[in-house]
Amino acid sequence: MPEVLRAPLVLEFPFTRSLGPVQSAFLTGLRERVVLGVRTTDGRTLVPPVEYDPVTADEIRDLVEVAPTGTVTTWAWNHAPRRGQPLATPFAWVLVRLDGADTALLHALDAPGPDAVRTGMRVRVRWAAERTGAITDIACFEPYDGEPEQPGCHSGEFENPLTGIVAPARLDYTYSPGRAQSAYIDALSARRTVGERCPSCRKVYVPPRGACPTCGVATAERVEVGPRGTVTTYCIVNIKAKNLDIEVPYVYAHIALDGADLALHARIGGIPYDRVRMGLRVEPVWTEGARFPDHYRPTGEPDADYETYKELL
Amino acid sequence: MTSQEAPGPRDVAVVAFAQSDHRRSTEDSSEVEMLMPVLHEVLARTGLRTADIGFTCSGSSDYLAGRAFSFTLALDGVGAWPPISESHVETDGAWALYEAWTKLLTGDADTALVYSYGKCSPGSVRDVLTRQLDPYYVAPLWPDAVALAALQAQALVDAGHTDEPALAAVGARSRADATANPHAQLKGEVPQGDYVVRPLRTGDCPPVGDGAAAVILAAGDRARELCARPAWIRGIDHRIEAHALGVRDLTDSPSTRLAATRAGAFERPVDTAELHAPFSSQEVILRNALGLDDSVCVNPSGGALAANPVMAAGLIRIGEAAARIHRGASDRALAHATSGPCLQQNLVAVLEGDPR
Repeated sequence: MPEVLRAPLVLEFPFTRSLGPVQSAFLTGLRERVVLGVRTTDGRTLVPPVEYDPVTADEIRDLVEVAPTGTVTTWAWNHAPRRGQPLATPFAWVLVRLDGADTALLHALDAPGPDAVRTGMRVRVRWAAERTGAITDIACFEPYDGEPEQPGCHSGEFENPLTGIVAPARLDYTYSPGRAQSAYIDALSARRTVGERCPSCRKVYVPPRGACPTCGVATAERVEVGPRGTVTTYCIVNIKAKNLDIEVPYVYAHIALDGADLALHARIGGIPYDRVRMGLRVEPVWTEGARFPDHYRPTGEPDADYETYKELL
Repeated sequence: MTSQEAPGPRDVAVVAFAQSDHRRSTEDSSEVEMLMPVLHEVLARTGLRTADIGFTCSGSSDYLAGRAFSFTLALDGVGAWPPISESHVETDGAWALYEAWTKLLTGDADTALVYSYGKCSPGSVRDVLTRQLDPYYVAPLWPDAVALAALQAQALVDAGHTDEPALAAVGARSRADATANPHAQLKGEVPQGDYVVRPLRTGDCPPVGDGAAAVILAAGDRARELCARPAWIRGIDHRIEAHALGVRDLTDSPSTRLAATRAGAFERPVDTAELHAPFSSQEVILRNALGLDDSVCVNPSGGALAANPVMAAGLIRIGEAAARIHRGASDRALAHATSGPCLQQNLVAVLEGDPR
């Protein structure tokens, strides 16, 4: 059993969302240092505002400005801020009911320590210096002992209202491929392709995934396959992939390695793209230091007979 | 797989349950390698093979391990050829069980395999769970799962419903009970520890770990053939709170109470309740919402405070409750599953054994 393989894996994507009219007014308002709520049909003011009444499901559009001051309704002290959170120094998570609102907004409170925070304390918005129309335009809340500030009476109409937001997301993982794939990758580092045989149906899977998808049992018997194989089917790629230094057009093929019962896929080189065909016999081409074949090229053998690979299509 | 019975309500039961040992890391196994022994075990308990199962439904989330379409790879462990009738939900397996239960009620199938798995170890589950939050107003602040539970716990303390020693006692009782559960990850005497996010300490939070679980459902006489004492599902319902945290009363769980009402939980007392409360404070809320007094045995398995493979921990509550009925330790049990921040979504099932 080779040791467990591990590699860092980062999932990172911009989450692009369009905004409804109420969300657009609220986030555009934050850009302009105005906090807007929305009035429900029973007269409550929701901050942050939503498009539909959470109780009646009525469409609600009656925007109303609330104050940038408010009251903490619950809190939690975060002594070890994590990536992406509003403050890099220890802070309190808070739900704040702004003056004029009936519901509470989640954000951070900049306070010297947990002893300085309590439910019922008064706080005020601290605006971010640069504002783009996002919940982070509120940098955080800060303790406030003055009079409640009077809200303005903004209509909710703005110039250049936002129509969408892009929220960046990033998650970090340590990827481990598991037993079967670790063994496969380990063998590849010695330029050997090793599959696993199903104890029930006797098929050899390459790459192995640890289970026979037909029989639902663990595959364990290791079987070296290839290195030569047969092109079972292919396609011609005409679109250049981002960050991939391969001239188009090129051929991407399913290749049944000799001894395998499942075709793997790889690029075909060493032959003009319009000469590749089903049944073409190929072999791997390795480059120095690579952990898998760079591509496959023709062996020069006669083409395989269709009958020999038709079950592998 | 069409039933011979007349159309109408059918009795559906949990007839078998299996789970993995829950561990901090299963990096030596892929998801299917972790799941497959559990599938084999649950099938072996009934003598069924994959080909005998009328419907298969699973619950998992690819975000946990960061592995795209992991649920299709997990299906390799079922043996899905010739093609099977199959479905997947991107949430806890308790909701997969709900789908399977409705499928059996329609008469489309007489048996169902339900499974779920969660690999929390490859990522940081506290951060991964921020991606399920409102993407406009909440997710950009990255409030992690412990922080949101801590806001709820403080609201509970402020309301006078609990205090820190009472919360610590919930964790201690859970891990003491878990010593009788060979699959639990965290058991015995565990230090209450430092604050993670105040007021929640390490002991108030679930262990982070990997695991899998599977259940077999069967209808009517088929259930009696497959299990000496089936755990009949008398009702299941699931309900949801408003998604904005600041709209909710965080000290109560009206959705749990409503789901329990509609599942028939209050028609007669239960002797056992398996509650899916990943945080100690959430057990306090659920006990109150369900009106459970000291006569009810709560989380004899240790609950999610002893093992919390995310996406499987809710299904495990139903499985543990059913297993107690199977072995005669319970006659009428309530099982609860939750999903989302601060008990946002709640499912309640009521299970009964035949009179002895």
